Amino acid sequence: MIHFKKAFFFALAMALLLAVTYQAYSAEVADQIGRADYVKNLKGKKVIFVPISMGFDMDQAWVTVIKQMAQRYDFSFEVRDPNSNTDAGIRALQGAIAEKPDLLIVQNPDVQSWARLIKQAQEAGIKTLALNMQSATQTDSYVGNDWVEMGRLEMGELAKACAGPNAVSHKVVWLAGVETGAANIWMRKGIDEVLKANPTLQLVSDQPAQYDAEKARQITATVLQQHPDLCGVMGIWDHCEVGAGAAVAAAGKTGQVTIVTNGAGSADTCSNIQKGLLTVNFSLNSDIQGHIAADQVGYLLSHPEIKAGQVKQVFFGPITRQDKTNATGNRGCWTLEDLKYCPNGCPDARPPELR
Amino acid sequence: MSPEAELVEALPSGRNGRSSKFDTFKFNQEVLVIAIWLILFVGFSIVLPKFLTTGNIIILLNNVSILGTLAIGMGLIVVGRGIDLTMVALMVTGIGIAIWTANLGIDFTYTVFIGALFVAAVGLFSGVMIAFGEIPSIFTTLAIASSAYGLGRILSPVYEFYPHKNVPWLQVIGSARPLGIPVPIFIFAAVAVLMSLFLKKTRFGRFVHATGDNPNAARTMGLPTRPLTVAEFVLSALIGYTAGIIMLGLVGGMNTQLYNSSLVYDVILVVVLGGIGLSGGKGGVRNVIVGTIFVGTLINGMTILNFSYSIQNLIKCLILLSAMAMDAVLNPRDEQTSQSGDI
Repeated sequence: MIHFKKAFFFALAMALLLAVTYQAYSAEVADQIGRADYVKNLKGKKVIFVPISMGFDMDQAWVTVIKQMAQRYDFSFEVRDPNSNTDAGIRALQGAIAEKPDLLIVQNPDVQSWARLIKQAQEAGIKTLALNMQSATQTDSYVGNDWVEMGRLEMGELAKACAGPNAVSHKVVWLAGVETGAANIWMRKGIDEVLKANPTLQLVSDQPAQYDAEKARQITATVLQQHPDLCGVMGIWDHCEVGAGAAVAAAGKTGQVTIVTNGAGSADTCSNIQKGLLTVNFSLNSDIQGHIAADQVGYLLSHPEIKAGQVKQVFFGPITRQDKTNATGNRGCWTLEDLKYCPNGCPDARPPELR
Repeated sequence: MSPEAELVEALPSGRNGRSSKFDTFKFNQEVLVIAIWLILFVGFSIVLPKFLTTGNIIILLNNVSILGTLAIGMGLIVVGRGIDLTMVALMVTGIGIAIWTANLGIDFTYTVFIGALFVAAVGLFSGVMIAFGEIPSIFTTLAIASSAYGLGRILSPVYEFYPHKNVPWLQVIGSARPLGIPVPIFIFAAVAVLMSLFLKKTRFGRFVHATGDNPNAARTMGLPTRPLTVAEFVLSALIGYTAGIIMLGLVGGMNTQLYNSSLVYDVILVVVLGGIGLSGGKGGVRNVIVGTIFVGTLINGMTILNFSYSIQNLIKCLILLSAMAMDAVLNPRDEQTSQSGDI
């Protein structure tokens, strides 16, 4: 016998249960904390990067990493490449400022050329980020190398090899870069500190090789001729320093002369270390620099309340000392394929001696 | 002697390569530069203890072998009353193409010819535009330099081209020293000797001088000026490529940023300093060698003295200016010498 009252209350209970369950399922899950604002602030923004040249391995690493972030979070990221041409760089920067991007990323060829333009950008309300090479005008953020420390590290490496009593001599060479470049100016400060602390060290030459390997070769060959007992050479960039390595090898002095430099840490550099053209490389880990830069891009874009020129962030990236014993493998010797997003594995672009 | 050669002999400037021992000694720019060079050389030898050693002189010559080879090619063009601003761009792009194709797997010994073919083709194009299109060489070569370099960058926009595999004969260029002299010096000397023989002993060489001195008169006489111009530019492109091979052997890579550097103007400096006038028709390999050795000595001395880059530039320019100013005073322009070419 069906009791209508019981059945009615049972049906009501079921209906209520169903209604509550339906509500629970169809109700929206609250978004991850902080995500909604972040995504909203990045979407549709415009970022322009003016490098020194896209031919540099470190620039390629940075762009690969930041481009992926741009694809993930749907903002536009453009590169205006002046290819080491100063005039083209100034024009590219002026054009970029005229387009009023939300963020302007710069890699300054020297401390003066773009200083006034960056100030103009800040006054126009455009936020700025400097990568690895600073300008006289301080940008909202700087991600790159601590050049004073780098000067100390490189000359310190030469001091280890050349200041002691067992060294072949106390003579060292500094192959400078572009005289007004940020790296050059501040590495010199670090170098001078170490030279003062090690008075036995003798700096026999500090000619600028201007990032050109042939010039580095010529200078090193000339100096080796004058000082056949040369103990060490330090340089501003590994792709320039291989010229010095070639001069040392041609004179048959590989092993006597310690060749120290710094660079992006790509597989080519590790290859050159294995070939004996470089003794020690202080890797800037440009792949990691790219990720830190991407973080700063996200930070500057996702805080619209921060005005251009208001903050002065600085981040000195990690430095890894590489020599023949550890210049192998994926971690320290990245290739561009390593940095790309390849869910099914990336094709191996590593040179044969590093596989 | 053929009729054309007789006419060439009769030209007022046809004394090149046939100076007799009884000529009056002309204190021209070449002699001036040699004098200044002697002062520099003796000065450095006294002040710098290790300057005048065999080792240092060899290093000095080795360091200017690339500049000198480029200057020989440029000298040929300037004597023919032209200018070739494509030399550095072709050197960089040609070698870049050779390395890039070698990195795809082909043996570098074969891809060298691919690069050579590319530069020769571009040189041919330049020559045709200048000779048959009658566009002044300065504009043509400026534009073609930019285009050729851009083409190379579309192919592979790297900062430096490195061959992935070691090439044995390149390493010979870089480190071998037959008879104690590095191979690049031999290559520079070979190019210089061949060009000198070409300019002085062959008919075509004499025609180059004639065309440079007065192109219209040469053409009226029946000289093949236009094919000659085309051949000149192909030759200078190949000479530039040879300089690139030397650089590749010495450094192990080709730096594409050389295009943006002042290298091509340093080459013109060497040519002009040595005494080859930009108006064409006068000069030869000896002038180029004088200019090259002068610049090489200056740079070597300043490197040993460890002068800063700014001071080096200043000194280089002051010496160039004084050499040319003194030449203007000692050899004032007259109706013939003040002819200007298209530059």
